[in-house]
Amino acid sequence: MPEEKIKFKERFRIIFKHLPKYRRYLAWGVVAVISANCLMLINPYLLKNAFDKLENKAPSGEILSIALLIVGLAVSSGVFRFAMRRSIIWMSRKLEYDLRAELFSHLQKLNPTFYQNNKTGDIMARATNDIEAVRMMIGPGMMHIGNAVVSTLIAISFMLFLSPKLTLYSLIPLPIMSIVANRLMMIIHRRFMKIQEYFGILTSRVQENIAGIRVVRAYNQEEAEIDDFSGHTGKYIHLNMRLIKVESLFYPILFMIAGSVNLMVLYFGGRSVIGGEISLGTLVAFFAYLTLLIWPMIAMGWVVSLYQRGTASLDRINRILNSKPEVLSQPDSIKDIDVKGKIEFRNLNFSYNGTKVLHNINLTIKPGETVGVVGPTASGKSTLISLIGRLYPVPWGQLYVDDIDINKWDLHTLRRQIGFVPQEPFLFSDTIVGNIMFGINNRKNEIAEKAASLSVIDKEVEEFPDGYETVLGERGITLSGGQKQRLTIARAIAIDPRILILDDATSSVDTETEHQINYRLQSEINKRTSIIISHRASAVKTADLIIYMENGTIAESGSHEQLMDLNGAYARLYRMQLIEEELKRM
Amino acid sequence: MTANNYHEEEVLGKAYDGRLMRRLLTYARPYRVQLIAAVILLLGGSLLQLLLPVMVQIGIDRYLMKGDLNGLARIVLAYGGILLAAFILQYLQMYITMAVGQKVQYDIRMQIFSHLQKLHLAFFDRNPVGRLVTRVTNDVAVLDDMFSSGLVAVFGDIITLVGIIVALLYYNWKLALMTFIVLPLLVLATIVFRKKVRAIYREVRIRLARLNAFVQEHINGMTVIQLFNRENEIYSDFLDINGRLREMHLKSIYYYATFFPVVEIISAVSLAILLYYGGLQISAEALTFGELVAFIQLVQRFYNPIRDLSEKYNILQSSMASSERIFRLLDTEPEIIDKPETSKPSVFKGKIEFENVRFAYKEGEDVLKDISFTVSPGEKVAIVGATGAGKTSLISLLFRFYDYQKGSIKIDGQDIKDMPTKVLRSQLGLVLQDVFIFSGDYAGNIRLGRKDISEEKLKDALKKVNLFDYVMKNGGGLSAEVKERGATLSTGQKQLLSFARVLAFDPNILVLDEATSSVDTATERLIQKALDNLLENRTAIIIAHRLSTIEKADKIIVMHHGELREMGKHKELLEQKGIYYRLYQMQFKQELVRATG
Repeated sequence: MPEEKIKFKERFRIIFKHLPKYRRYLAWGVVAVISANCLMLINPYLLKNAFDKLENKAPSGEILSIALLIVGLAVSSGVFRFAMRRSIIWMSRKLEYDLRAELFSHLQKLNPTFYQNNKTGDIMARATNDIEAVRMMIGPGMMHIGNAVVSTLIAISFMLFLSPKLTLYSLIPLPIMSIVANRLMMIIHRRFMKIQEYFGILTSRVQENIAGIRVVRAYNQEEAEIDDFSGHTGKYIHLNMRLIKVESLFYPILFMIAGSVNLMVLYFGGRSVIGGEISLGTLVAFFAYLTLLIWPMIAMGWVVSLYQRGTASLDRINRILNSKPEVLSQPDSIKDIDVKGKIEFRNLNFSYNGTKVLHNINLTIKPGETVGVVGPTASGKSTLISLIGRLYPVPWGQLYVDDIDINKWDLHTLRRQIGFVPQEPFLFSDTIVGNIMFGINNRKNEIAEKAASLSVIDKEVEEFPDGYETVLGERGITLSGGQKQRLTIARAIAIDPRILILDDATSSVDTETEHQINYRLQSEINKRTSIIISHRASAVKTADLIIYMENGTIAESGSHEQLMDLNGAYARLYRMQLIEEELKRM
Repeated sequence: MTANNYHEEEVLGKAYDGRLMRRLLTYARPYRVQLIAAVILLLGGSLLQLLLPVMVQIGIDRYLMKGDLNGLARIVLAYGGILLAAFILQYLQMYITMAVGQKVQYDIRMQIFSHLQKLHLAFFDRNPVGRLVTRVTNDVAVLDDMFSSGLVAVFGDIITLVGIIVALLYYNWKLALMTFIVLPLLVLATIVFRKKVRAIYREVRIRLARLNAFVQEHINGMTVIQLFNRENEIYSDFLDINGRLREMHLKSIYYYATFFPVVEIISAVSLAILLYYGGLQISAEALTFGELVAFIQLVQRFYNPIRDLSEKYNILQSSMASSERIFRLLDTEPEIIDKPETSKPSVFKGKIEFENVRFAYKEGEDVLKDISFTVSPGEKVAIVGATGAGKTSLISLLFRFYDYQKGSIKIDGQDIKDMPTKVLRSQLGLVLQDVFIFSGDYAGNIRLGRKDISEEKLKDALKKVNLFDYVMKNGGGLSAEVKERGATLSTGQKQLLSFARVLAFDPNILVLDEATSSVDTATERLIQKALDNLLENRTAIIIAHRLSTIEKADKIIVMHHGELREMGKHKELLEQKGIYYRLYQMQFKQELVRATG
């Protein structure tokens, strides 16, 4: 089965990659498992000796030495049992750390397309539940299977040595037990999965009811909703009852089988004792061995399910690790030189997920120039500028920075020169100063304060109780949309980029503040190549060049005056917005 | 499960709270017969289990030692019988307990869900959907754990422990006392272990939550990280947080790695004591071999109940936390309730009067200021205004989703606060801008649980909105599934479906929030026609976004910053050159340009 072998290797590639550095733990683990079980399983044999001696009325000193030996063995076995967890489980936790780090590091290389096609919740599930399932397979899974195999082998050898016949008889219930327990576990698992599935339905039903609460109320459907939900809950309970029927069998059956093993020993062993074939001590030792065998038998079924769950999780993790980053630096990329800031689109065409988003874009921006971009939603404005930061793979020969194909630039060198303010202001739950200086290593407070002042957020920040050290997010304060936007502008300015890109960066800022920002930013904008997207035409009025985008093409371009003279879409938009502003003041 | 919020750390409080527990137990009261039966079965089952070592003792002492083969067979038979009986009792007990757990779960879940149907809308504005869903789903499931595997099992563990102690004392009290020496050690080891592990797990949970929050946040902000070249710095932060979690996990290994061997050593010590001291007793003929074997087997049974009992602590703790959250929800009183002396239902003619209505969601932030207007029966009124002008709040008040602070809203001369909300809403029809489609079939989405709407009426409604042919041909018929949140229908079709819903309910007064999203011209024409059908013979209030709707309206109300600023007909308002004039220029002229090319 070479194919399966390849599949196995491929599937466990990530594990094998990290295992070698833990070979000492592994070796220790094997030694510990074998030693701990060997030592532990001598005890029933000693029990037999003690009983034999008692029957022969041996002096109590001999019993005492056996008793002490039993304690001694337990202590030494305990040391190895400690070592067993300390090596195997320890290794599994370290491996968990490695896997998670590898996953995260890979996630950092993947592009927006990946994140648009995969829900955050799903990715989180990979990083949490799935990694834990893999760890359970490697750690506890390996430990328990090792224990089960070793202790079974040793116990059976001892038993065979003591009495082959009784071994045979007493082991009869064990395979049955193993089969029944496994079968039961499979049914339980199946029914449990059905319940989980239905729990999902139940959850979405509640979610729907709450999300649609206005419709429910307006149409007086409260009673009907309760009825319907009662039906779903009833079905859920019904499924649970089906599970309970088998689940409540599980432990009683285990007890029963454990009991029947004892029953076999009592009967057949008893007959042998009466027949003088074995001593009472041997019978007692059998009781003890079989008690020790029951847990490994149960554990085996459990390990099987750990393995199934673990490999399924591993497959899901591999799916992420196998997705290739779309944008990478070329091997011979242009590194560590300064960008001057010339940007040139040469008849650029761009498709995303199979649809053409940008058509025949021709645009040259000279270093230091300011370009305003306006147009209706989904006209391709944001896509256009995201290509300058190479967020998506750019076709060769269609986009140049400083007359060098953008694909030839080293990603880091290029991005270090771009100050990007995205449409959705995303901040981290860090301090304000940490957020402003997110992009720089040289963290001087003056830089943050200057950037904050340029983005007209300085006054508000200083009013917070902790000033620039104020923590944002769930653990700290929540900012308004406008405040967030201004902080993201500050973050972009702080890195002192050659190219500044603002994607509708002041949409949530009130008009007056916006004017102030424009006023203060003017010098910054003049220093660099700037591209400003805005839904307000007035915000880009003073730009060197304004382009109006529609359906992925540049429909109009020119200065404000030129475009007003053209009296096209831009002029219409501009006039409309004048009325809007007038209306607001009424 | 719903979208997890990884910031929400699991906060665990006390393990036992008498007040909460008493309230929880009231849910078990209807099933007390079953529970009592379960406890009796449990008692029987545990005692039978303890009889097994006794049987072994009898077998050894009376028959084995005396070579009585028949006696051995008899005792083995008895052993088998007890085994079987114990099996049946245990099975029944577990089944009954778990079944009660399910019933209780059903009761609590339905109670929460029903309660949610009564709560005022402002409550839903304050509480995120995910949180409320968790109350109905996960929190209840936690309680089920307590009822089905917690409460009764605690009894079982205690009974077993007591049974073992009694049996040992009965056999030989001296030997029993000797073996009890290790018992405190065992209990102590378990308690110390639990305590350490609990403390560590609290820390693990906090660190895990932190790690998850970190990962989630940085997945969401990945573009920013990449654009700002922060991959290396963020990665080292991540390794730090990841390492903190690992550190705690590794620490916990020491406790487990110590605890299990310690239990084994303790059990070896007790075996050693039994052997040595029991051996002395046997020599003195104060103990039989059978009794020694029974002792060994009984002592082995000590460990499970002790370990179980300490595990129950966790179940108890999380069920206390869940029940507290559930009870807090159940204790939230609905704010909008019918007055006791509401008048009898009548059919509205359709006259609507707003008199000096003032309304604020939050105290001091008025959304509607002093609104007065009248709609005569059969009139069609259009409401226009920029976003945030208060249009949606206005219609929410009419449905009594919220109570206004001042003034009055009357329908046919009667204040809406004086009529049952059921009656009020049964006479009003609502079409929301963002059409809400329920999962289920087409018929279900129109009927919404009202069984008295006949299939004829249903088809008729679909025909009137021009959706019938689509549903029958492409949609797969009335009983075909409409995917959750309307994934299979286009935006225009969803609107048509919501029109059909209103037509089937056939209210006298229609409130409609027109959709702003643009649809293709063909669909637009269909919607236009359907709308005409919908408005026929009805009083209507429409938040209008379509020029045609406004032009046809009998009256236009212009809202601006929460005030009613202008009112009149299209032509009159245009001539005023006020707010309406500008709104018209902004919104509808564009439409005009598009329509005329």
